[in-house]
Amino acid sequence: MSRRWRLPFRRRREDLQAEIDTHLRTAIAHRIAQGESEEAARQATLREFGNVPLIQDVTRQTWGWLWLEWLARDLGYTLRQIRRSPGFAVSVIGTLALGIAAAAAMFTVVDHVLLRPVPYRDPRRLVEIQEVNRAGKASWPQPWLDIEQWIRQSRSFRQIAFFAERGGRHYLEGNTTALLVEDVDVSANLLHMLGVPPELGHAFLPEPPGVTPGKNAGTIVLSDAAWRDVFSGDPGIPGKVVRIDNTPYTVAGIMPPGFRYPVGTSASPQVWVPLQPGKDDQIRTNNANDYSVLARLRPGVTIAEASAEMTVIQKRVSAGYADAQARQDHSGIRIHRYEDTLVDAGVWKALLALLAASGVLWLIASLNVANLLLARSTARQREMAMRRALGASRWRVVQKMMVEGLVLSAIAGALGFALALGSVRLMAHELAQHLPLPAPATPDWQILGALLAMTVTSALMATAWPALLTARAPIEPALKQGGQQTGTARRHNRVRGALVAAQVALSLTLLVICGLLLQTIYRLRRVPLGFRTDHIIVADLNIPSFRFAGKDMMQSLYAPLLERIQHLHGVQSAGLMNEVPLQQTFGIMLALRQNNNQDIHAWLKPLSPEIQRVFGFRMLAGRFFNSTDTPSSQPVVVVNPAFMRQYAPDKHNPASALGMTFWRIRQNAPMHIVGVLDDQHQWSIGLPSQPEVDVCLCQITPKSGVYRVSTVVMDAAIRTDQPTQILIPEIRDILRHASPELATATITTMDQIVEDSYGSQRLAAHLLEIFGATALLLCIAGLFGLLSYIVVQRTREIGLRIALGATRKTLLWLVLRQAGGMLLVGVVAGGGMAFASSRLVQGFLYGVSAHDGWTLAGSATLLFTAGMLAAYLPARRAARVDPMQSLRAE
Amino acid sequence: MSTSMSTKDRYRNRIELLQGTLDMLILQTLQWGPQHGYGIVQALRVQSGEVLQVETGSLYPALHRLERQGWVRSEWKQTESNQRARYYRITASGKRQLVSDLSRWERIVEAIGSIMHGRPEEGEA
Repeated sequence: MSRRWRLPFRRRREDLQAEIDTHLRTAIAHRIAQGESEEAARQATLREFGNVPLIQDVTRQTWGWLWLEWLARDLGYTLRQIRRSPGFAVSVIGTLALGIAAAAAMFTVVDHVLLRPVPYRDPRRLVEIQEVNRAGKASWPQPWLDIEQWIRQSRSFRQIAFFAERGGRHYLEGNTTALLVEDVDVSANLLHMLGVPPELGHAFLPEPPGVTPGKNAGTIVLSDAAWRDVFSGDPGIPGKVVRIDNTPYTVAGIMPPGFRYPVGTSASPQVWVPLQPGKDDQIRTNNANDYSVLARLRPGVTIAEASAEMTVIQKRVSAGYADAQARQDHSGIRIHRYEDTLVDAGVWKALLALLAASGVLWLIASLNVANLLLARSTARQREMAMRRALGASRWRVVQKMMVEGLVLSAIAGALGFALALGSVRLMAHELAQHLPLPAPATPDWQILGALLAMTVTSALMATAWPALLTARAPIEPALKQGGQQTGTARRHNRVRGALVAAQVALSLTLLVICGLLLQTIYRLRRVPLGFRTDHIIVADLNIPSFRFAGKDMMQSLYAPLLERIQHLHGVQSAGLMNEVPLQQTFGIMLALRQNNNQDIHAWLKPLSPEIQRVFGFRMLAGRFFNSTDTPSSQPVVVVNPAFMRQYAPDKHNPASALGMTFWRIRQNAPMHIVGVLDDQHQWSIGLPSQPEVDVCLCQITPKSGVYRVSTVVMDAAIRTDQPTQILIPEIRDILRHASPELATATITTMDQIVEDSYGSQRLAAHLLEIFGATALLLCIAGLFGLLSYIVVQRTREIGLRIALGATRKTLLWLVLRQAGGMLLVGVVAGGGMAFASSRLVQGFLYGVSAHDGWTLAGSATLLFTAGMLAAYLPARRAARVDPMQSLRAE
Repeated sequence: MSTSMSTKDRYRNRIELLQGTLDMLILQTLQWGPQHGYGIVQALRVQSGEVLQVETGSLYPALHRLERQGWVRSEWKQTESNQRARYYRITASGKRQLVSDLSRWERIVEAIGSIMHGRPEEGEA
């Protein structure tokens, strides 16, 4: 192999050899001619000439391409080394690949979520403008009247656009099917401001936003996905009329594939409808329409400057609020770079924490490899000393080892990359629940660049130490017999001991954080939910209400649907509820006015009476809905303890809430509280429940104020004694029969919903379990490797000790003590690191303190015990050394 | 049998070459005709009255460097003692380089001389 490499360099090198040979021969001949003996002449000449290979090297360096030749030779050398000891190569490559894979996988995700520029023109200048109160909390609503003033008065922005996501569920109708779409009302300039031209037709025509219907009224822009799904990509669609929930729109244009605005968690195809401020935009009360505002900064204007200007403007604008409280609530302005608003702060922190954890794992892997290479360099000390004695420069020796490290880590890098891509795909489902964008399918330059940097850094970290130590070692002692037991070897062992201690410290940090998260999951699982989760099937229904225009959906859809499901074999009870607990699909916020004219807010949950039997809800006081509640009977509601605590006359007596009366703000039908439910977790296990008002579907008619919000989304919850997989197809059949759009409903089990609600904690805990276990394994392997090596190295000394009367027990302790020392140093340092870094994950913890002593003690004990076990095997080997053999050996 | 040099290098009564002068000396030597490596060493020693000793460790790198610069060219020829040796020959650009090296050298010698002999520089005005 190396012969082929040598060919291009060979002729020139042989030339130089011949040149030097001639020199020597001529010089010797000269000396002989002057009367010296042949032997004396030869020795004198050689001495005078100096180190022949070194001179050759230095000379060849002037040719300029010697490094290439060296590189080729070092590569050949490395490959020979790998072939000679494959076990060593496999452990080095495997360790590094694990470390690199973890870091690369996390970087891929983080890069994708946090670092990728959004696909709009010059996204760094896009900002989100939000009204806030004194405390910096976002105000609601953000009305058109305020936005109008910003557009008139501000100078910082090139454009100000605004939009509102139309609530509810909307269907774009095709010839045969209807597609659930996300319908966004946008100001006419929004798409233009984003700077992405449509692929077909045109975007909305420029027009000043105003109260009268403008040029764009009645038009619509479709996303590429909606166009392809519903109209099979028909290029004749622009200019045609399409319908959304029975309303006709003329298609203006189609946006290019992949374009989304706003970027949300929903995967539904989007459509954009021009927004015309109307009646509800002429007020500043709670009934005003709420808009999100996106603006493009003028070139050269910073966010700070824009904020300063807007703060001054908002002072004048908020003076326009009649209500003193509202004036306070809208007194400030917050401007964020649009890119920074995309990822939830919690997810952001989790990802960074995980990235840091994977970085630590990578560090541990690199330290471990450094240790392995250091062990080998100690074993190869004689070889290196021989090379230097023969004329290799120090730099040359260092270079040789660096090339070896680079080759090994390059292989590991490639392997780690494949592993990383694989694991990102495996995790794709879990990631998708927490991230705004789908996980990347293909790597890009940033990721490859980071990978390259990691590979090179690993190689340098792992080889720099061993190489420098080897190069600085004196030549002579290493060449002598038994040179391994010299001071150099002891120094190497001290370095290796420090590396093991560092690994122990880093591993402990990971283990502690992993332990905290596992405890969090454990505590979350032990929280009483307030309802049963077993044997419940949940179907998440997006209601195609456009199909039931003019009908009472309670009678024409919900009642027959429930009836049919209840008659399925194996169904014990079935009910409807707008969203089942822990399922965050469609919350309805209700503004109520109590009879003392005090505003109160609560979550509204329309549901059917059977839901109590399905979930086993308990009552604290009063009754749940029953068959006596009908559209004609007195309107009744059931509330939860949070509502009771906040609004009932006696916070500690649930019964005191019974009989309280409420009005809907827009409708004057009084509603009586007839029952108080036991507490249950509504959206998250980690959060306390919020005030809730339950109304019965059995009392809702098309005339009710809550009819519209009750016909958007429904969860059907079904209690069964049958295996769920048998029942699910039958339920799907019934749904398809009720309306074709319902056939694609998501059907899952309540247990799964609870499981998913652990959310980012669970994802983080799973990943950290993997990281922590790998770190523990690497760390134990490192300790085991070092001690085994030291025992082999000290065989002769141990033999001597035995010969002089040391007992086996003493020897066992000798080795164990050494291990204990390293572990202790590592655990103490790691404890400090864990204490400092566990604060980073504080936001994720539930029911456990970030500085939980038990977790720290438990992790330390685990690590220490595992470490001592790993040390026991080499220690036993030391104790079994046969003194005769060991003293004769070497 | 060890050949280890137990004593330190013997003191050599020769002057180490000044940095940067080796190239000039080689070029000067080659002015008198093509020469091989050993020949150059000998010539320098003889010409300097046995004072200058060129280290082979510097000579060969220097020769190869000069060749790379294009100031010398080399070819394989038979020596008088019937050995095959590589002969170096100065090129036209090498001669130009020698002239510039020489004038630089003379300026340096003059400058160092005036310092060492402490001759105040007066005759200028």
